[in-house]
Amino acid sequence: MAIREMDDMLQAGLDRAVEMMALAAQTSFKFGKRNTMKLIKITNEEIEQLAEYCFSLGDMSPLAARDGRFAADLIKEPAAVLLIGDKRQSLFNYNCGACGYRTCAELNKAEMVESLTSNGPSCIFRNINIHMAADAAAAMAWRLGLHCRVFSTLAFAAKALEIMPDVDIIVSIAVSAAKVDPFFDRHKFWTQDVWDQTFKKEFPTFTRGFIGAVEDEDW
Amino acid sequence: MSVERTLKQFEEDRKEAAQIAARMLLASAVTSPRVGGVGECTVHIIDDECDIEDLCQAVEEMSSENKAWEFFMRDAAMIRDADAVLVVTSLRSLTDPSDINCNLCGKLTCEYLRKEDKLPLEPGVAYTGPLCTFRAMNISYAVDGIATLARNLGIDYGVYWSAGAAAMRMGILPKATGFALAVAISVTEKSPFRDIPVKYGEINERTMNDRIIRRLWPQFRSIYS
Repeated sequence: MAIREMDDMLQAGLDRAVEMMALAAQTSFKFGKRNTMKLIKITNEEIEQLAEYCFSLGDMSPLAARDGRFAADLIKEPAAVLLIGDKRQSLFNYNCGACGYRTCAELNKAEMVESLTSNGPSCIFRNINIHMAADAAAAMAWRLGLHCRVFSTLAFAAKALEIMPDVDIIVSIAVSAAKVDPFFDRHKFWTQDVWDQTFKKEFPTFTRGFIGAVEDEDW
Repeated sequence: MSVERTLKQFEEDRKEAAQIAARMLLASAVTSPRVGGVGECTVHIIDDECDIEDLCQAVEEMSSENKAWEFFMRDAAMIRDADAVLVVTSLRSLTDPSDINCNLCGKLTCEYLRKEDKLPLEPGVAYTGPLCTFRAMNISYAVDGIATLARNLGIDYGVYWSAGAAAMRMGILPKATGFALAVAISVTEKSPFRDIPVKYGEINERTMNDRIIRRLWPQFRSIYS
């Protein structure tokens, strides 16, 4: 009888599971019966790029840095990230006002503001459509027994690095077949030292002895 | 005896099943992923027939305010057939941008979004944007949490923004609500939310009953009694 290795099965199972998640995302509820989302799966190489980019944002966004370090660890075991993206303009003609424009036509005429994270202004219902797809994918991952977490930081990094072409808004769902759940562990990266350091940086007057004292102790 | 007791029992149980399901769907909505894991969405169950009727009338009233909202009449007709309606709200999208400068709203930074004038609350405006899109889209996880479990439970559902906006107008939601969506659920043989006829707002079971049976019945009764 042929023997199949565990790693091989886990990887194959993960690949199949991600396909099922894509299916769930595709068939989830969409407003206006308009399904214009684009969906790709990225694996180790691209996740590493995202991780490096996120980590490089360290000073600007500690959250992105944390998720960068996290993603770098994630790919040590079988893992994948689904990216779901869409364009920003409204297709619905709901004229709901949530975007700040009275009509969808005004929103569509408004000048596009580009940025690294996403291009705006974007239609709220288009955002909702891709995020409902993300939730359907997450629900499928949950049912299939995968570890899963939805990341906006990795999605913004993917937009910045243009991993997904021709989209304005992105959301990412990371899944893993690791031995233990790698997600939702706030003590892994934010240790006591990191907290102390952050506290000192954010509230310098708290630890300073008196007004006029220097901030850097080593000086 | 015109209607058997067991049939009455079936009708009662069917309604109770919808009410129990509504509570389970609420649990699914609350535990779905949320950015930052912070509770900023609330879910409200409307399962009283009179309250659902109030909501439907509010939706119908809004229909005439904006040309693009003509489909609200059809939505109201569908929601009337629902056994329960769950309204999901976003509490922080109106006044409290998420401070991550994501540019989904197109204002580049959250500071600029704070300075932006909101649309006035007047007829023809459903949500007083610009809202924090990053916060408002949080609601989609709650709504899809409901949809996913409803599919698993085998319960028909429909998602409506018209009823969410109408509930905001009625003042039955928390004060800080900036954005709301509604999910109607139904436990019946035929889903009232899909595959519906054209002009369903005007021509549906209720209006047809009203026009034909109820108008003819008094005469019929007086003649044949």
